Amino acid sequence: MPTISINQKDFEQLVGRPTIAAEPLDAWLPLVKAELKDQDSESGEVRLELHDSNRPDLWSCEGIARQIRIKLQGAASAYPFFKPTPRPKRRIQVMQGLERVRPYIAACTAVGYKMTGEGLAQLVQTQEKLADIFGRKRRTISIGLYRLPQIVFPVTYTLVKPEEVRFTPLGVEEKMSPREILAVHPKGLEYGPILAGHDRLPLLMDEEGQVLSLPPIINSREIGEVRVGDRELFVEVTGTDLPMVLLTLNILAVNLADRGATIEAVEVAYPYATELGKTVRTPFNFQKARSIPIKTIEDALGVPLGAERIRQALLAYGYEASASKDRGAISVKIPPYRNDLMHPLDVVEDVAISRGYGEFTPIMPSQFTVGSLSRLEEMSDRVRDMMVGMGFQEIISNIMASRQELIDRMHLAGSDRDQIVEVENVMTQAYSCLRQWITPSLLRVEAASTRAFYPHRLFEVGEVAVPDATEETGVRTLMVLGALIAHANANFSEAHSCLDLLLFYLDRPYTLEPISHRSFLDGRAGRIVSNGRAVGLIGEIHPEVLEHWQVSMPSVVFELEVDALVNEGKS
Amino acid sequence: MNAASLIDRLHPLEIKVLTALSRHQSQSPHVALREEELGQTAALEPAQLSMAVEWLLAKSLIRVESERVTQIVSLTKIGEHYFEKYSPVERILSAVRDASQAGRRLTIQDIRSREGLEPTEMSGAIGSLKKDGAIRIAEGGQVEATGTPSRTAESLRSLFQQLRATSKELQAFPEPMRGVIEQHAVKRGNAREPFRIDERVERRYTLTPEGMTIAQAITQQGTGEEVSQLTPDLLKDGAWRTKRFRKYTISLRPPRLAAGKRHPYREFLDLVKRKLVSMGFLEMRGPLVETEFWNMDALYMPQFHPARAIHDVYFVKEPTHAREIAEPFLSQVAAAHRNGGGTGSTGWGYEYDLDRARRLVLRSQGTAVSARTLASGPNVPGKYFSIARCFRYDQVDATHATDFFQVEGIVLGRDINFRTLLGLLDLFAREVAQAKESRFLPTYFPFTEPSVELQVRHPRLGWIELGGAGLFRAEVTRPLGVDVPVIAWGLGLDRMAMVALGIHDIRDLFSTDLEMIRTTRGHF
Repeated sequence: MPTISINQKDFEQLVGRPTIAAEPLDAWLPLVKAELKDQDSESGEVRLELHDSNRPDLWSCEGIARQIRIKLQGAASAYPFFKPTPRPKRRIQVMQGLERVRPYIAACTAVGYKMTGEGLAQLVQTQEKLADIFGRKRRTISIGLYRLPQIVFPVTYTLVKPEEVRFTPLGVEEKMSPREILAVHPKGLEYGPILAGHDRLPLLMDEEGQVLSLPPIINSREIGEVRVGDRELFVEVTGTDLPMVLLTLNILAVNLADRGATIEAVEVAYPYATELGKTVRTPFNFQKARSIPIKTIEDALGVPLGAERIRQALLAYGYEASASKDRGAISVKIPPYRNDLMHPLDVVEDVAISRGYGEFTPIMPSQFTVGSLSRLEEMSDRVRDMMVGMGFQEIISNIMASRQELIDRMHLAGSDRDQIVEVENVMTQAYSCLRQWITPSLLRVEAASTRAFYPHRLFEVGEVAVPDATEETGVRTLMVLGALIAHANANFSEAHSCLDLLLFYLDRPYTLEPISHRSFLDGRAGRIVSNGRAVGLIGEIHPEVLEHWQVSMPSVVFELEVDALVNEGKS
Repeated sequence: MNAASLIDRLHPLEIKVLTALSRHQSQSPHVALREEELGQTAALEPAQLSMAVEWLLAKSLIRVESERVTQIVSLTKIGEHYFEKYSPVERILSAVRDASQAGRRLTIQDIRSREGLEPTEMSGAIGSLKKDGAIRIAEGGQVEATGTPSRTAESLRSLFQQLRATSKELQAFPEPMRGVIEQHAVKRGNAREPFRIDERVERRYTLTPEGMTIAQAITQQGTGEEVSQLTPDLLKDGAWRTKRFRKYTISLRPPRLAAGKRHPYREFLDLVKRKLVSMGFLEMRGPLVETEFWNMDALYMPQFHPARAIHDVYFVKEPTHAREIAEPFLSQVAAAHRNGGGTGSTGWGYEYDLDRARRLVLRSQGTAVSARTLASGPNVPGKYFSIARCFRYDQVDATHATDFFQVEGIVLGRDINFRTLLGLLDLFAREVAQAKESRFLPTYFPFTEPSVELQVRHPRLGWIELGGAGLFRAEVTRPLGVDVPVIAWGLGLDRMAMVALGIHDIRDLFSTDLEMIRTTRGHF
């Protein structure tokens, strides 16, 4: 979700309505799914977060202003350059081999708008947000902006060997080869990996052999540095996905047109076939009209709006909409700078946004349903109640912990109990594993609470993750009760009394079998067995473990699988 | 305060001290009683005595007549050891003398190794003996006995005998002995010495005029009958009839209890849970470790799309992949991603990666549980919720937790549409947040269309986000075998919980500080 900066005055000019300052900007933001982050009333700078990651056309001042302007006007104004025209004046020739590197390019020219400071700032911001977020850090799309008068057409989109050409890239003074750019230039280092594995690199070059850019890395300094005051631009987009490349160019074209530029198309000639043939004229309106039943929209909205009100709402949101030749349907076409209409129901939200969510009266779902907790949660609640009754304070812990806490401090390293779920992309060691039992969570509390008055009786009923090859995911999630008693005279017998009472009330006969477990004092640890199955353990924490945790009170614990209490049925 | 009510509030220990002092003063009116004597007269343990004296001083019923600091000498463990086995001074002197008599000469090194003494012990003792003139160091470092007796050795021996198993005032010893004691007393940085000097504050107490009045009143009314605790014995034989029960100072704060209690955050979550069940929601559960398939793919989040970056997830190190994804869901979801798969959608139009679908992650959103429920043949109409622990790849700070609870769910039914979605959110605002005002804003989730953000007006914080919801896309429901409209909803309750619990740092919801957990109260 991108955050962008816009200038209030620039915004008002683009909306074409200076009075907008009288209405809070907030009131318009639902129309573009934006959230106001900051507003500096002196400089007029406004920071907005855009929520819709499928609407890159809204990630600029021009885009936001456009959506609001359409609403104010009731319909979109047409962009003539999308209409098929005679063969464009300018041409790009794509060379063989690019289909394996970065197959697609789209371009246009923008003439007659004198670049202002704010216009350039928005253009650069749009370029960055589109390439970074929508284009996955230039991997799927990247954008180049150039000073048109210096380019001699036709332009060639070609492949070169890394040492074959030299040009001066942006940001440096001297000429460099593509190989040098990839090796030392900051942009080369950042985006070079996109071209890894290719022995020939994409290059844009004009008729006279001047280099425009090394897509998707860097522009040439001579041609590819747009400045305030420039009146003629050349805009191109390269990438790996044709619809995304076309969409990006369309967004740039309408943004520049909204600022007053005249857009002229460029013809791209491929030596290989694309979804649109070997010759593609860009900007290209790839949207097609779809016929959507009125009833589909009405049912989804829950209001019988009727065809006309739906049509008005869609027009006021930028669509082309007209009565369909299908009976009871409406023919809709989304604007060429959007590509987020995948399903007929996608127009439903736009109708609702266009009319305003506040226009819809909420109604309660009327159908009767019976609510209840899961049996596991019911059993967990019973166990919690009984633990509270026995004087235990409930704890809620992070399930993530460190290997040190779960294994090393518990004296389990190198034992057959050292299997835990670990994450691959560790952010901090403290949260790098999932706990496989509750006791370390309770010891963590005990270690942090030596100054809280004693006795300490703690419990947690919570989830743990146990590696288990028989599970679909290799891991079993279990609900487990863990209890810890710590005070000067805490011992096995006290914990055993609590466990015994708990299992008495749960009506679960059990036996304790001695086990050898390195977290516990030898001869003072046992496995809880019920219905012939191990369902938990109990023991006095080994003094060495207490030392690891820097706990200086005798501590005794027991753990019980709540799942086991549920799954084996009632007696 | 009159004497009778004051007496009623006196603790039995206080009464014992008052009467003891009163008795003493009637016999010898001009000599105040020493603390030690007072303890004996009142028949109290030192701890009881000091408690009672503190209380009485605070009530101004007694006062400190005089205070004298005395220094008390006693033997340390080392001192007792020296008494038995002789001190280094004595041992060195005797060794040198024995050697001289046998016509042998010893160096300091010889003595040290023979007697097994530490260098520090040696140097101190040799110094003392030389000063006394009892030994001299001859040419070649050899130590000779002069025949002069050592004053230090003799004083030490006498002191060991006098102090054995007892203690004495330092002032009781003559000046030269005091010098020896001070030289060989335990000091900071040197614990290996035979004597210890402790300071003892000796106080003498006397009754204040008010204390005198009270004490006389006590003597007159008699206290022998007063008891503090009603016992089974007193009840059994009826003896309670002849007793007076001490009146308590009931305004004092009681001792604290270590009670059994649910966690304050649990109390909040239980409240939410009860609300949802009462509104007809069934609880659903799911695993902590999920596949990317259920966590994201089934929710129509494309494997390549930036929307995926909203959910920065933790990947499991081992095993990396689930064995398989249940069919027909895998094929149907894959088709929906590729080309819509008959859902009426165009799909995302990319090559869906079947291996990536099996990649194991820590569940990053509660919606994963909803996806599994959709695939399990849910009730229609049906309402479901889960309070699911989720994990995000985030730097932990006051507003970001790495694992946290998400309250999410779904509602299925033929009557589900945009307006019933708003109605449900309205209900949540009123029932769960007790909000009087709410509003709906457009928002974006990859798996819903339309999508709504629910905001409620908080009395102090203004408009806050309470949750997000929407109608599941057909690309989500159809591949999982559901063909009725489904509401997906989620409530962001952490903020609400923090306000209710008076917590300002999200990490404190899972605090490890027992004192904090014991004292946090919820205002629900």
